[in-house]
Amino acid sequence: MNLAWDDALWALAALHIDPVGLRGIWLRAPHGPVRDEWLTLLQHLRPGVRRLPQNIDSERLLGGLDLSATLNTGRPVTQAGLLAQSDQSLLLVPMAERMASEAAAILAQVLDSGRVTPHGGGDTQDARLGLIALDEALADEPAMAETLQERLGIWLDLRHLGRQEEASDEALGLIGVLCSPDGEAEEERQNVLQRLRTLRLNDQQIQAITQMAQAMGIASLRGPLACVRLACVLAALRESDEVQDQDLGRAARLCLTPRATQMPTPPEQETPPEQAPEQPPEPQPEPPETPQDEPTPPDLEQQPDSPDSPEEDTPLQHMGELLLDAALASLPPDVLAQLAQNSTTQIKGGGQSRSGDLRQSRSRGSPLPPRPGLPRQGARLHVLATLGHAAPRQKLRAPLGSSQGAASRLAIRAEDFHIHRFAERTQTCLIFAIDASGSAALHRLAEAKGAVELLLAQSYARRDQVCVVGFRGTQAEVLLPPTKSLVRAKRSLAGLPGGGGTPLPHAMKLALEVALQQRRLGVTPSLVMLCDGRANISLQGSGGRAQAFQESLSLANAWRSQGLQSIWIDTSVRPEPQAEQLAQAMGARYVPLPQANSQRMAQVVQAASR
Amino acid sequence: MAIPFPFSAIVGQDEMKLAIQLVAIDPKVGGILALGDRGTGKSTAVRALADLLPPLQVVVGCRYGCEPASSSATCTDCASLKATGKRPKTETRPVPVVDLPLGASEDRVVGALDLEKALSQGVKAFSPGLLAQANRGFLYIDEVNLLEDHLVDLLIDVAASGENVVEREGLSVRHPARFVLVGSGNPEEGELRPQLLDRFGLSVEVRTPQDIDQRIAVIKRRDAFERDPQGFRDEWAMQNDGLREHILKARKLLDKVKVGDDLLRLCAQLCQALGTDGLRAELTLMRACRSLAAMQGHKAATPAHLRTVAPMALRHRLRRNPLDDTGSGTRVDRALAEVLGT
Repeated sequence: MNLAWDDALWALAALHIDPVGLRGIWLRAPHGPVRDEWLTLLQHLRPGVRRLPQNIDSERLLGGLDLSATLNTGRPVTQAGLLAQSDQSLLLVPMAERMASEAAAILAQVLDSGRVTPHGGGDTQDARLGLIALDEALADEPAMAETLQERLGIWLDLRHLGRQEEASDEALGLIGVLCSPDGEAEEERQNVLQRLRTLRLNDQQIQAITQMAQAMGIASLRGPLACVRLACVLAALRESDEVQDQDLGRAARLCLTPRATQMPTPPEQETPPEQAPEQPPEPQPEPPETPQDEPTPPDLEQQPDSPDSPEEDTPLQHMGELLLDAALASLPPDVLAQLAQNSTTQIKGGGQSRSGDLRQSRSRGSPLPPRPGLPRQGARLHVLATLGHAAPRQKLRAPLGSSQGAASRLAIRAEDFHIHRFAERTQTCLIFAIDASGSAALHRLAEAKGAVELLLAQSYARRDQVCVVGFRGTQAEVLLPPTKSLVRAKRSLAGLPGGGGTPLPHAMKLALEVALQQRRLGVTPSLVMLCDGRANISLQGSGGRAQAFQESLSLANAWRSQGLQSIWIDTSVRPEPQAEQLAQAMGARYVPLPQANSQRMAQVVQAASR
Repeated sequence: MAIPFPFSAIVGQDEMKLAIQLVAIDPKVGGILALGDRGTGKSTAVRALADLLPPLQVVVGCRYGCEPASSSATCTDCASLKATGKRPKTETRPVPVVDLPLGASEDRVVGALDLEKALSQGVKAFSPGLLAQANRGFLYIDEVNLLEDHLVDLLIDVAASGENVVEREGLSVRHPARFVLVGSGNPEEGELRPQLLDRFGLSVEVRTPQDIDQRIAVIKRRDAFERDPQGFRDEWAMQNDGLREHILKARKLLDKVKVGDDLLRLCAQLCQALGTDGLRAELTLMRACRSLAAMQGHKAATPAHLRTVAPMALRHRLRRNPLDDTGSGTRVDRALAEVLGT
């Protein structure tokens, strides 16, 4: 039996019972049989659950004036938005990772307030709902907007799940009952809701959840809050009168573990809370769990099957450990390793609206000629062009209009609408690839760092994003994912040590990947390469000048074929032809700096990136 | 109406709560900028703000919620109401706390041509936006550091002038838009323009409570609130009423609080030591001191008040070298020790 799939079914049932209290689920899974199965069950539970299409406009989302209907009838016709229509229910959001930041912000606000204001103002309407956000982002792609992630109670990751998994009979039976035809299912749901009203966690349980959240480095309190709520719903689903360990464990796996930012150490050994919870914790004799071990001790497998273990008298510490073990059971090993390294290079996403390189904006920038289109999704009606299009057709339309009333006003049809268009300067992202190898480190690393700092200060003034790729030894790494935070950029730079070989091909590959990813986000990337061109480590990580150079050359060609901007700053004391050759292949501007001077270097890049 | 979490039930966050109360007593102190991680209850605190404020008297039929006594000349609605010759009716309304969503279009914020009227009746009319709704109240921007530049420009201008001027699509409208800006955000995700920073009177740093008991208390109260919002509010109604009365009392006292020349000199020295641009820092310091003194029932502001409010009022105004990561809080503390003596 697989815990993850079993948990997925419990999560589904819980969402069906209490969409509003849980706020929804962030479901990370590729399109495939596992997700399909889950969604099919959802359809059975809630036939006709609404979907939120990618291209929805804000009128439909929030509700507001129905333009076509208004024009046809000649009087204002309003329509309720999708959010208001989903009140007290679930709303399915496919491809949530591609959602524009505008839509994410709206959804986050609605989840917080439970109210929605129709487009263009008016009385607010109830919209208390839960979201089912389907996120298909791959590991190296930005996931759903963080504002939204944060607010959804349950986080479920089914990416590691293979084909059909088995689940416990209990979970399957439960779904079966909730899906049963006729009024039976609804009756059952009402029963569960009835039980939910009286269920409470005791103080010890709340304390255990809070402590665990803290041990896992979950700063936000929304995680433990969702966990508290989910534990109650799960207990109600099991027709239990009280919340038991298995509910807590399951809730922790669904709400807390996926949010963890650090390896939890076992909960602090405290004296029983009745005496003095404030006492300083004694030093812990137990070593923290090693991340390599898949922490599924055998007793865990039995844990869900032994619901009757008496937990009233167990001290808090015991409960904490149980909870922790249960929660860790769902973590795939690589995640643990990552957490143990405390790596923060997580790909952030959702902050941009996604479109092409030179994007056409509908709201700002320098104006372009108007074109036909409906004033939706932030587009503004170009009144003059609309009237201009309607004017010559008035005679034709007059007989169709109702009678005298129509004659006095302009007959405007939906096809007359023209909208404003603007050309907008997109955001730029400067990718710095910094050679910290032995050959460069001796002479130039400090100077290069100085120059990059100056450049950072300039890009701060322009509000550009910056990204730092450092390379030395056998490989390159993204020291700083694209960010606007200068302090972080500076820190990552200061921590860059020098020495070792020059894995130039790897650095170029990495920079290319980052650049393409940024371009997909609608940001224009450009590369600043600080290197002497003396590649001597190939992509495989082995030595060999000739191969490394060939690889660099082919990557340089790939770079040019993508039409990306770049500058090559040769940092060697005596420039050799290699760097220039590579720069040419890249289509980069080549700047030899025999006497590298950070001021001058900064000027060059500034001039070139304009 | 969505039920907000009661202000008095908020656990911890003393600095944030103090800042909100200071602004509630004297809105002239300026806005509040709350910086901190997600899920620390920034927006809960801000939305609870309305609890503290006594309702407003407004002119019925004025879309901008003008004050009856001084329905200003800039408001076209009031002018046309006056032109009818009748005395305008008044009503009481809760203080508006308007949310500005991140993705809001410019139309939504400043207002636009009323399409409904334009298309169905052929009338050119203005449909007011969020700035009009926020007049005399608060405008809350969650994730203010991610706000798009064109909206930032707009807000900077309106927040300074207290008037929204719309010149577009053949409209020429101006209406009062005096509001207090309240922003929240996570500084790790992006920086704010200094001009916008300067528009906020006070800034507070919000962290999740690290104390486990506090965290437990937060979770318990929040859970109780979500189960039964109205019941939970009723439970806290007494405390909220007490707080509101306290603020009303402080408002009455506000005009009587004296801020002596000595204290003003200290304010100026402090600002000079920190090299803040312009006089806005001094003004905010003075107002915040006065507000705090009124809150504590004192008739005069003292250096102790200054010490309390200085970090909030100055932290975000320091001219910042983007590459210097010394916390601005420490710099303010240092200057305070220098000017006031330890």
